[in-house]
Amino acid sequence: MRGLQDLESRKVTRFALLGRNYHGVNFEVLCKEGDRVRAGAVLMRDARRPEIRFCTPRAGTVAAIERGARRRLIALQIEIDDNVGAENFEAPNGSEPAALRRFLLETGAWCSLRTRPFGKIPHPDSEPAAVFVTALDAEPSAPEPRPIIDACYDEFRAGINLLSNLDEAPLFVCHAPGHRLEFDHPERVQCVPFVGGHSAGLPGVHIHALCPIGLDGAEVWHLGYQDVIAIGHLLLHGSPWTQRVVSLGGSAVRNPRSLRVAPGAPVDELLAGELLDVPHRVLAGSSIYGRPVDASARFLDAGARQVTALETGPADAGDPGPRSAPLIPCETLERLAPPGILAVPLLRALQIGDAERALQLGALELGEEDLAPLSHACVSNSDYGRLLRRVLDQLEGAR
Amino acid sequence: MTPLIAAAGGGPGGYRRILGLRLLALLPVTLAAIINSGYQYLSRLAENPVLAGDGFRELLARGLGANYADAGFYDWCAAGIAHLLPVLVVALLAGWFWEWLIARYRGRPQAVDFVHTALLFTLLLPGATPFYHLLFGMSFAILVGSAIFGGEGRTFLSPALLGIAILQVGFPGTGGEHPLWQGIAGYSGSDAIALFHRGGDTALAGAGIDPASAFVGGIAGSMGTTSVLAVVAGAVLLLATRVISWRLLLAQIIGLVLAAGLFNYLGDGSGAAAMPAWWHLLLGSFAFGAVFLACDPVASCCTNAGRWIQGLLAGALVVLIRVASASHPDAVVQAVLLASILAPLIDYAVIARNVRHRARRHV
Repeated sequence: MRGLQDLESRKVTRFALLGRNYHGVNFEVLCKEGDRVRAGAVLMRDARRPEIRFCTPRAGTVAAIERGARRRLIALQIEIDDNVGAENFEAPNGSEPAALRRFLLETGAWCSLRTRPFGKIPHPDSEPAAVFVTALDAEPSAPEPRPIIDACYDEFRAGINLLSNLDEAPLFVCHAPGHRLEFDHPERVQCVPFVGGHSAGLPGVHIHALCPIGLDGAEVWHLGYQDVIAIGHLLLHGSPWTQRVVSLGGSAVRNPRSLRVAPGAPVDELLAGELLDVPHRVLAGSSIYGRPVDASARFLDAGARQVTALETGPADAGDPGPRSAPLIPCETLERLAPPGILAVPLLRALQIGDAERALQLGALELGEEDLAPLSHACVSNSDYGRLLRRVLDQLEGAR
Repeated sequence: MTPLIAAAGGGPGGYRRILGLRLLALLPVTLAAIINSGYQYLSRLAENPVLAGDGFRELLARGLGANYADAGFYDWCAAGIAHLLPVLVVALLAGWFWEWLIARYRGRPQAVDFVHTALLFTLLLPGATPFYHLLFGMSFAILVGSAIFGGEGRTFLSPALLGIAILQVGFPGTGGEHPLWQGIAGYSGSDAIALFHRGGDTALAGAGIDPASAFVGGIAGSMGTTSVLAVVAGAVLLLATRVISWRLLLAQIIGLVLAAGLFNYLGDGSGAAAMPAWWHLLLGSFAFGAVFLACDPVASCCTNAGRWIQGLLAGALVVLIRVASASHPDAVVQAVLLASILAPLIDYAVIARNVRHRARRHV
């Protein structure tokens, strides 16, 4: 953690775990409002797969458990109080896969893994065909991963080590060109450089290039570089990594830079005193794959790496035109499509909810973030990420 | 810095922006159409003073101050407006009426893309088209070309193209079919490609047509299709903003050049088979049809591989019909229509290939 001391740390009063970051999880809350929890303590588990536990990365007091329609968990908010202390996890001896899995499940680090297809937390017994670590970031004004990885290289290497011993499956570390990474078991870890525009940073693109998903039911896992560092921190120090690196960017930010903040920090506390005095809109995430922040959704997502505040011009305030418009199959869509995907036929299948067609056209290879540029470029004003999620839910239900 | 003309993108109002760009791209063509129609009309009258013009347009042109005796640029414009404006106004009214009725009936906001359809439709017609042709063609374009598929942006053929095609079928030998019909009683000209059919280069030279005039647009033809220069200006705008596909446009030119070369090689050196590729590109309405009709993003293939195939097909069909059928000297409307009808089939094949490829692979 030595190099990260240079980064400015932003104190926030509370943070939250958001239910919508974990698709398909039926949360069973194991704490109640007012409980004082140590960093690493179990807060919730998945009712259907009770081995999957959600632990708090920071110590504090459970401030609120927000629930929405049909008692769906919206957010579990915690008032930060570092005096409560932290759990001490014992790192597993040796590299026996079952012990490593148990360690990840017990510490809650398992929840940072995502499957492709479907983008969910993998089942504790499932075997991936490959594991992908995204060690580059091509979103506009995202923090540069390289100095962060280099500063936390011990943790990063420990995390990679654990992941490479988890399974027989190959582990791919996808990084920016010129970034030299060395690991203890080079025969099991493959470092692959990716170049290109925005799409070079998407896990969907890495998976397509290295281990394309067919229709035969296999899955791959992916996770971000900061999640790997968090796993390494648990291994080396026994306690959760209490911070993440998040960048502030966009034209309405006075001083764009990276900060260390608690995971799940509230966006308004992050941006306090950082904005220029202009009309603006705030996005949790990048200008391409960012979610508008409002009063009901004001915390950073799990794995969030940036906050963007964009100046809004008079054009944005004017007549927005018809709310829904036809899809015009301009060539731009083809240019922005993920590799191997025929954009317009897939988008049409998603618009009419034709799950079978979407499956044939590669919906299983995709996550919401892969379609964000298409939602931007298409004149139909459709949110293809949401349409994709609807189709993926149908496809998973049919399995 | 925001570029002056950014690539057409999504977001609120994106559809209107694309429509605006497509109208803007037709502006140079419309200006060229006005100037050239007036020029053609006045010079035909000057050559044959015994012929009389169409009374209604004559009145309008004189009302705008056109001087028939010693015609200059202003007189051409006045006479051109007298020819283009009535056609455009009637086409707009017909389009607006149907869109208004349908919007009312379906409880939807009024569609606006009939403006684009009407302008395209007008530019593909000669200046003296009878109004009942216009009403029939525009109604068919809006109702059968657009409304039954769900309105703007959901069609599978370009509505204007369909309207022109039905006019050519319904009224052969008049307005839509005979692009030289100037509204001058007793005048009959000859289409440039038909001229080449009969007499080759010498016939063209005899009619005063050289590559430069064909490029700039000083020859007789449908109002908007004669000036390749104006079409190129519009095409540059549409390509720069990525409204149309460069692949589709390039493939059409390649298809046309290849087919023309093939017929030059195989043919007996007479008729349209002997026509070199550059005459195919410059004469008739190929340039206009390729940019504004075939490249309509809604009515063409939606995959890149499909765009190449459709373009090659459209370009080759233009030459094939020109060579094979002396009664369709221009052939662009027919060729583009055929290729456009085949576009969903081409896409189907491209998609099936992609699906097969995906189904075959394993992790």
